[in-house]
Parts: sequence; structure tokens; C-alpha cells
Amino acid sequence: MDLNQSMRLLSSWIAQIGGLGLDLLWRFIHLVVSLWYIVSGIIEAVESYAISLGLNKKYSSINIEKLRCLAVVVDIEEARDVSKVIELLQWLRTIGVKQVGLFDSQGLLKKSKDMILGTVPGSVLSEEIGEKNSSPDQNPLALEFISSSDNKEAVMKAANILLQDYLKSSRPENDKGENFFTETHLNEALRVVGENVHAPDLLLVYGPIRSHLGFPAWRLRYTEIVHMGSLNYMRYGSLLKAIHKFTGVHQNYGT
Amino acid sequence: MLSLFSVVFTFLALFLLIPGLFISRRLRVPFSLENIIRFFKITASKYDDERNDERGPMGEKKKRAKNRMPKHVAVILDGNRRWAEKRGLGTSDGHEAGAKRLMENAKDCFAMGTNTISLFAFSTENWERPEDEVKCLMALFEKHFKSEMPYFQRDKIRISVIGNRSKISRSLLGLIEEVEEATKSYEGKQLIIAIDYSGRFDILQACKNLAMKVKDGLIQVEDIDEKAMENELMTKCSEFPNPDLLIRTSGEQRISNFFLWQSAYTELYFPNVLWPDFGEAEYLEALTWYQQRQRRFGKRV
Repeated sequence: MDLNQSMRLLSSWIAQIGGLGLDLLWRFIHLVVSLWYIVSGIIEAVESYAISLGLNKKYSSINIEKLRCLAVVVDIEEARDVSKVIELLQWLRTIGVKQVGLFDSQGLLKKSKDMILGTVPGSVLSEEIGEKNSSPDQNPLALEFISSSDNKEAVMKAANILLQDYLKSSRPENDKGENFFTETHLNEALRVVGENVHAPDLLLVYGPIRSHLGFPAWRLRYTEIVHMGSLNYMRYGSLLKAIHKFTGVHQNYGT
Repeated sequence: MLSLFSVVFTFLALFLLIPGLFISRRLRVPFSLENIIRFFKITASKYDDERNDERGPMGEKKKRAKNRMPKHVAVILDGNRRWAEKRGLGTSDGHEAGAKRLMENAKDCFAMGTNTISLFAFSTENWERPEDEVKCLMALFEKHFKSEMPYFQRDKIRISVIGNRSKISRSLLGLIEEVEEATKSYEGKQLIIAIDYSGRFDILQACKNLAMKVKDGLIQVEDIDEKAMENELMTKCSEFPNPDLLIRTSGEQRISNFFLWQSAYTELYFPNVLWPDFGEAEYLEALTWYQQRQRRFGKRV
């Protein structure tokens, strides 16, 4: 019995030591992966400085016509520094981007709309483009300000419009609403509640997390999503590289 | 230096390899690198869960944010055709290799502690592909539902198929219903297979369901909100409807109409590996990457 008890105690100790060893292995793997990302981050930083200085001829000309609408998602912590957002918009204007949607989940950029429009030369609200020629600039930068209220809340409002239409309509008893709840109808209902339904071609995410952070889901079907890192450490070369890479993407849309 | 190295190596051998051998014999698990990796991930996740088992003012969301193993992993299986093309094989060979990889990866995911795995197997847009390819894919689904049924039942994995079923053949539909019925009582592990799925269709059918409920007097118009909508999405079959991690292979960086509503705060991982080549090492890298990120669900922490 004593021998069995001793064996059980010993195996319990060894199991605990084994567990500790496995935990160390797990942490070691994390360390290796972190080092890998640090090294690749340094290489990327060097590359982006080279691009900014014009040393890499590949990025000297970009087919910007392919990028009709760009969206920028900013983490809420980073959206508090509006000056960085303004700097980013100025870079985008330099590159030749014509339409930018700015998103942060809590609408901080919406609140700073007037300041941004007043500071970024040639910028106008996207809804004002075409209505009146408010900008003397030949190539205005159309800005759209988006927040979480334009995502699920907007879809709910649009869904309610469709629902009201469905309930008011004269329809057969066994009608399942096939003719009322279509993509076209929801698009129209979203427009009625004041939402833009155009899908951005490219979405740049600035923040610590690679996620679209609640950007209007209905618009994201085939949007390219690129994580750019922190807005505080943004680089012109990285921006140019992301846009250049997008212009080379070929989508088959699932077919 | 040499003596220091030999001391460290002896220490590692004594305290890691020998216990490892002992533990593997006790568990009757073959001592392979594959199973060691599987075992230490489970160990690490349990260790992490114990350390993070606290509830703050955000309650469940905070616990999930701190939990470093994703409860729900969604995968867009992209790259089968390119994989076949690179090897001079036919498209069907690529899809066959992809299907084999699918089951292997699902088994690894569950072994590593993931609760729910969603696979974007066939999108609504895929119907536009050549007829032969579509027939091959449907035949693959039938073949694997039949052949993997014993595994689902042995490992108690609940199978749910989401998507528009109106275009699916009767034979495949019958198999799907059979598998879902046979596994519906299982808890703890769920495999969601999206066939003829579209994120926009998901939102629209949820709207339609709500309209039917209002028409039938089951709910009032005023009751319709985001929560009501989420309860009508196809992912309502899952305890964890919103993925923590979404992996799309082949290097493409878009979600292509998959889980549009559900992926608001999902970590997006786009490895430059074709799906048939995405194995255990690649999944481990995805997990490690995920664990290094910080998620705040849009709120200030």
C-alpha cells in the first residue's frame, strides 16, 4: 500500500512538473512568434520609409482609378487624436483618392466633422458632391462620416420600413414575403433612412485589432480589408503599399 | 559555455521529456509531436481559463475578451483550385484535398479547445461556377457526411448546416437532415457548415422571419431590435453565434459575404497559405496570433 501511495504521489508531482514544462513550451512558442512579428515589423518599417522616399520605383505610379471608394476604420482610442486623422486624409488626397468614408464605433470623428472639413483642403461632405458645387477645388475629397449607428441600428430601421410595407400590402394568406425582403428592397430602405449603401473597395483598419470594429456590415460584402497598425505610427509608405497592392487584386466574386 | 549548455539540456531532458513520456503512457497517447502540441495547447488554455476566471462589470463579454482560446472559429476555405493548378491536377482533386484537410483541421480545432467551428464550404455565388465543379462539390459533401458520421457520433460533435436549402438536391438534403437529427443533442462541440450561404441572405431571412412573427401576432413591431434580429440569424443554432476568430486562407483579404452581421468584432486572420496546405502548424500560428491581440468590443477599457 505504502509503495502504491508513494507511486501515486510521485506521479502527481511529475504530472505537475510536466504541466509546468508544457506551459513553458507554450510561452516559448509565443516568444518565438512575437520575435518573428517584431522582425517582420522592422523590415516593413524600413520598406515603407524607402517607399516614402521614392526609392522603390514600383510605387511611383498607382492606378488610382480602380479605387473608387476607400473606407478608414479607426479604433476609438486613436480616433481621439484628430490631427492624425487629418494627416492621413491629406496623404490620401496627395495619392489621388477621391472618396473616403471615416468610421469609428462611437462617432467621435462625426463630432469632429466640422474641424476635419475645415482643415483638410478641398474636402467636402460626400452628400454635397453633385448637389451643389460647394468646393472650388476641381478634385474635391468627398468625406463620409460613419459610426455604429449606421450599422445594425440602420439595418433595423430599414427592416422596419420593409416590415411596414409588407404588413400594409394586400397579399395572399400563405405569402412568405419573398417579394418584399430582397437585397434591392433593403438597399432602398437603407437609402430612405439616410444611409449610404455603396460598398467601399478597400477598408483600412487603424488600431491594435485586425477587425472591422462594427463597420456597416451590409456594405462589406467584397471589400478588401487591410490592417495598418496603430494610427500613431502610420507611415506614408505603408499607405501607398496597401493601395498599390489593392490595385493588383483580382476578384472572382465566388464564381 | 559548453558545460552550461549541457546542464540546461540535462535539466530539460529530466523535467520535460521524462514526465512527457510518463504522462503519454498514462494517457495512452502516442508520443508524437502532433499530440504534444495538442496536449500543451489544451493545458495552456485550461491554465489561462483558471487565471482569467473572474467577472468584471462587463460580465460575460469581459470573460470572453480575456479568454485566450477562441470559442468560435470561422474559416473561409479558399485556394483549392489554385492548389490543384500549382500541381497540374484537376479542380476536383483540389476540392478533394480541401475536404480531407477540412476534417483534419476540424479535429485539431476541437482537440485544442475550440467549441464551435464554422466552415464556409459553399457560397451563394459559387452556383455560378462550372456545372461539373458544382456537381463535384455536392458529391463531396454527400460523401463526407456519410463517411464522417461515425466520427461525429463518437466524439459527440453537433452538426448544423446553415444556408439557403432551396437549391440543394434531395439526396444531400436528406443526409443533412439525418446528420443534424442524429447529433442535435450533443453539447460542447459544434461544427457549422455553411452551404449556399450569403451574409446578406442571412440578414434578409432574419428580417422575413421577424415579419412573419409580427404577422402571426407572436411579437409586436416594437419588440424588434438588434437582439431580436440576432435570434433570427442562421447562427442562432450556436451557443456562440459571433466568431472570435475568422481565418481566410490563400492570402485574400476579404470576408466575401460570410457572417457580415456576426463579424463586427471578429479578429480577421488572412494567412498566405492555400486551404489544402493549412495544417496544424498553421492553425497553431493563427491561435498564437489571436492570443496576442486585444479586443475591446468597441468599448473603452
